[in-house]
Amino acid sequence: MTAKKKRTPQVQSDSWVVIAADPVMDAQTHGSDPTFVRLRNPSTDAGSLYMLSSGDVQLYEVKAFEEEFHSWFVGQTVQRDGRLLFITQMDPLYLILPYLIKSGIEGKFQPVNQVVMDEEFPACSRLLSCTRSLGSLQHVAEEKEVGNLKFHRYSEEKTLSWLKKKVERTVAALKKRNISVGEGVKSTTYIRVKTESDHNEEDYLRYAHGLISEYISEDLSKALHKHLELPEITSPKETEPPSKKRKLSDKPVEAGEDYTKFNSADFVRKSAKKMTAAQKSLAKVDKTGMKPMSSFFSPKEGETKYWTSPPKRSEINPWKIPFVIPHVRAHNSSVEGVYC
Amino acid sequence: MCSQLTHSPSNKVCFYTFKIPEFTSFICICYSMSNNTNVIHVQVSSVGDAQRVPVHLMPCEIEHNGPAQVSQYFHATTKDRKQEMTVSFRGRALRGQELCCPQGYTGVVLKETIKPGSDQEDRTVMVTSVFDKMTYWNLETLPNPDDRVVMAMDWTELSEAIHGPVED
Repeated sequence: MTAKKKRTPQVQSDSWVVIAADPVMDAQTHGSDPTFVRLRNPSTDAGSLYMLSSGDVQLYEVKAFEEEFHSWFVGQTVQRDGRLLFITQMDPLYLILPYLIKSGIEGKFQPVNQVVMDEEFPACSRLLSCTRSLGSLQHVAEEKEVGNLKFHRYSEEKTLSWLKKKVERTVAALKKRNISVGEGVKSTTYIRVKTESDHNEEDYLRYAHGLISEYISEDLSKALHKHLELPEITSPKETEPPSKKRKLSDKPVEAGEDYTKFNSADFVRKSAKKMTAAQKSLAKVDKTGMKPMSSFFSPKEGETKYWTSPPKRSEINPWKIPFVIPHVRAHNSSVEGVYC
Repeated sequence: MCSQLTHSPSNKVCFYTFKIPEFTSFICICYSMSNNTNVIHVQVSSVGDAQRVPVHLMPCEIEHNGPAQVSQYFHATTKDRKQEMTVSFRGRALRGQELCCPQGYTGVVLKETIKPGSDQEDRTVMVTSVFDKMTYWNLETLPNPDDRVVMAMDWTELSEAIHGPVED
């Protein structure tokens, strides 16, 4: 083996491996092709990639699952970019909501097509064509009908109860995972929870709140936190500016096992040297047979997997919980010029 | 076998060292655009011509994009009774397992075959391959439900809970 290798920079990829909801690729039902568009991400306020189906009837979200040092073999070709994209159905109301909130400051009832406008992201008006959009506005706004025209005014009260329902649905989906596992039925792929008793309602709520917060502004996320009556958690990191919230790269990371024999200084650099108390105690745990990922997120050996197990309160601040699902992320274009 | 797999000797293969969540910056799919008005069309009609091909997720970064003699040099063997698969790649024994796409979802490979003439043009991607299952490979560990790619498949179900319509 040759001495230390350096990775060549990733060049722009022109090919992507995607898992897409079936309707996206259904040629029969389409009059025209679905399109990738850029719209304002309600959580980051920057542009992200979404997809609109033929006739704009359905909105889809584009997220990337990414692990370092992965590539694809597709038939007789190599694809260096090892990301796996997911195209899944999305509730357009999440993207419409920021515009309603903005116009709601004036406190007037307004026609929604005059509200959902964005010079930077002109495609946003297409959101109103989605089948679900107009009918679901009542979840987040008060409605007034004058003649044939409808007018709307943002209501935080309605929005919070709508979001609470979303959280409850998400909690149910998270629990369903556990139940199916506990009963030992369904796909063997999902056998993962060893103990289900140690997850209380609050943990589920907190986790689901974190997931929903990926789709709303920080202010609304805080209001929802209060609305759900989740106990406040004080953490110094909570005062970080919003831009820093989105990264966890400064979080101490320790290799679960020493694979450095396979490698060079490139990798050694990546493992952060500083460890929190929790991380230190983790490092002392016997790692044989232990999964590095689960050790990263759950302190006790043999505990539930991170996907269904919210991190312990003392270890992670609540605003970072969405990132407990590390591998499915918004497909964002905020760092153009890197791979783009 | 490795040098055949990646055409030029300068193409390197880096195996991953350990599994950590990668919280690097968000990256866009293929937008190199200065404005937000452009769109990328997905030519769905190309699905009909798309080939069903084996898809492998490799536990290493291969610094190559393009053709390689995969089927000639990459022979996976399945152990009796078990679903576990093994293959030798660059002298390392990889352990693999097939993974089905979640129900209601299809795997596709999108490719931009025609490059746009300018930044101002809309772009088009074609469906070049279709798959309903893939094989993922671990470097040392046996495939298990804790593997991140297995858990990633849960996303579709969670996403349906987050985005499905709520009752009044």
